[in-house]
Amino acid sequence: MVSTALKYEDDEALDVVFGALADRTRRRILARLAVGPERVTDLAEPFTMSLPAVSKHLKVLERAGLIRRDVEGRIHRCSLGPEPLADARAWLDHYRYFWESTLDRLAVYVEPKANRQPKGKGSKK
Amino acid sequence: MTEAANLSLVVRRTVRAPVERVFDAWTKSEFLKRWWGPEGVTCPEADVDLRVGGHYRIANKLPDGNIVVIHGEFELIEPPTKLVYSWRVDPGIPAPSRVTVRFETHAEGTEVIVIHERIASDAIRDNHEQGWNGCLDGLIAFADEESSGR
Repeated sequence: MVSTALKYEDDEALDVVFGALADRTRRRILARLAVGPERVTDLAEPFTMSLPAVSKHLKVLERAGLIRRDVEGRIHRCSLGPEPLADARAWLDHYRYFWESTLDRLAVYVEPKANRQPKGKGSKK
Repeated sequence: MTEAANLSLVVRRTVRAPVERVFDAWTKSEFLKRWWGPEGVTCPEADVDLRVGGHYRIANKLPDGNIVVIHGEFELIEPPTKLVYSWRVDPGIPAPSRVTVRFETHAEGTEVIVIHERIASDAIRDNHEQGWNGCLDGLIAFADEESSGR
């Protein structure tokens, strides 16, 4: 995280994650799975849509790695896959690092040399 | 860490220089080329058309030699205290986020306050729906517990 500014190789994965999150039904599914794993049939119950429609949403979430699906015989059970969310957060942290490091450089540039604080002390407010 | 609920972030830094000098460093291409970017990144090219509706383009040369261009338009200019502009990253993030920079005079110098908003919400491209950010934060908090607890 400290090495470079923004990393772009992960963009495609993030597109998929944010795309998956940009839907109310899918967020509700995730919120329910945050409580614990559920069977697909139980997940479909509170939504006024068909099982195939819910299944479509589940596939989007699955492709983004946001959920995992375990199959025991005819029972499909879904659970939350937290790693992509951590990636999404790391993406934001890149922005933070970008700005903090950029402002460090600004300070070095605009401050007269005599006034500059010793390195490592930092001038964060 | 990030400001909860809307995936914006605020970074502040006080620099020991007068506000006009800091504002110029931020808005004049000849100065930008000398300091812009985080460590390891240099700015080989910068064009700034400092007027409302004017475009800016800042090239960022990454440590691996690749060039990433940050560009957008100015939405508000109040020299030497405030700037608001859109922010796109090419290649990378075509949907604009918004950056507000405030330059405030203090006894010790100038406090630079960068507010970067709408980061993730605009990166979703279509289907933007209000309210998902809070949900995402909740899920991230949950993901943290999950990954540390097991």
